[in-house]
Amino acid sequence: MNMSVDLDQTPRSLLVCDWSSFLDDKNRVSSQVEQLHFNYKVSVLLPECSSAPAHLDSVLNSFSSFYLIRNLPIHELLDKQFLETAVYQGSVYGLSYRTRIDEDNCVALMPNGRLSLSLDKDSYQLLGVEGKPSRFSNRTNSRYVISIDLTDNSMAPGGRGYLRLLTGLMSRLHLTTDFLLSHHPGGGASLQPLLSRYDWSEHRPELHSHALTHLSCPELQSCDPHSFLEWLGAVDADISCENSSISFLSSLVCPEPKTTLSRVLRVSICGLLLPQDVHRLIQEIRCYLEQPQLESWLSLTVHGFVDSPVSWGGREHGVLRGGENFYTLLMFHDHTYHLHLATGAHDTCPP
Amino acid sequence: MRRADKDDKPTVYQRVVLKNASPHHYMKIHLVLQDASTRLSAVELKQFIITGLKSLYGEVGAALNFDLLKYDEDTLTALLRVYSRGLVKLWSSLTLLGSYQNQACAFRVLQVSPFLLSLTGNSRDLQLD
Repeated sequence: MNMSVDLDQTPRSLLVCDWSSFLDDKNRVSSQVEQLHFNYKVSVLLPECSSAPAHLDSVLNSFSSFYLIRNLPIHELLDKQFLETAVYQGSVYGLSYRTRIDEDNCVALMPNGRLSLSLDKDSYQLLGVEGKPSRFSNRTNSRYVISIDLTDNSMAPGGRGYLRLLTGLMSRLHLTTDFLLSHHPGGGASLQPLLSRYDWSEHRPELHSHALTHLSCPELQSCDPHSFLEWLGAVDADISCENSSISFLSSLVCPEPKTTLSRVLRVSICGLLLPQDVHRLIQEIRCYLEQPQLESWLSLTVHGFVDSPVSWGGREHGVLRGGENFYTLLMFHDHTYHLHLATGAHDTCPP
Repeated sequence: MRRADKDDKPTVYQRVVLKNASPHHYMKIHLVLQDASTRLSAVELKQFIITGLKSLYGEVGAALNFDLLKYDEDTLTALLRVYSRGLVKLWSSLTLLGSYQNQACAFRVLQVSPFLLSLTGNSRDLQLD
């Protein structure tokens, strides 16, 4: 009897929906965008449009480059010169690459100068720096999180905390990982001293666009959030919604009431993307929506890195089954918007 | 003029938090076959998964509704949709499916999410080489 109850359960998931207007002084879109530091993919859906308008295109093409350093010893992030040229000046976005937060040691360097290390138990004990058990391994305590503010006085080069972490990383735990790095506003110039010592490569965010025709589209103002996100996911994944409820393979249909859009453009961009660039894109989209045209909405989805040790605002993040942390901003021409923020089981509530 | 009208209208701020409210779960799966040259059509794949459900949960299990949203015959990768209540049943029967037409096989579950959208933006797919 109990067994059947348990089989119906699924791990926790959260969807936060905000409905507001950009004209409202209390709207928090900017801070919500800024707080998700490590963005992997931005995808934009433009209705009744067959090629990206010039202004949007130029913003999409001007997303900042990011850098990949091979086999970076993590103690290099404490290098005095790196701290002075990059961390104290502007914002550094750094994330270990191809490390899985459910298996490996993961590192993130946040724009506010906070270094977050998510370590397995052995590595944590070897390092000997104070941290906390991960919120998401409460019974076994097999993972620990260390969060250090590099801009703090005690972490100034030569200080006590600084030396303790440095010796831990240099002589006890030799933590080395491929590392993604980006800097705002300095770009590569601010990172050059660090890059030049290692095997590194520069990467441009990858841009893809795809034109769709005759697409069924639900009534967006009234559609319920889960149905809307399902429809948007189907559009993004090239899944057909043209099924009948009795077909064998799939009964996925577009939510009613629906209309048909003759042309839709889907543009996506992948890489380590800065929140500043996403913010710039949103501003440009708002200008674009002010022009009178056929369809008066536009949607923008931003996916965070699934293996980042932090999601919104530096709060701890884990992967469990999917590691989802993304938001969708649906904007209308009258400056109103619907913002959907979603997280999976190993995450706290979005801001 | 239109803008002025809008300004007069009081703007509303509404926030709703939905917890565990997703009606469906979505799975990205990959079928590994002993003989890599074997090909399945979408209908055969769905039928194969149904036999798995039937052998583990009987006739009631075989009646579990799930959708094969997308399937790539070349890579044997598929997207499934299932009612959240049926996720554990579907997942467990995929795990225990071990042979297809007398050859060993295994389903690799690549990603599971209550949001279809998150299956399109998995940072583990980022290739920089």
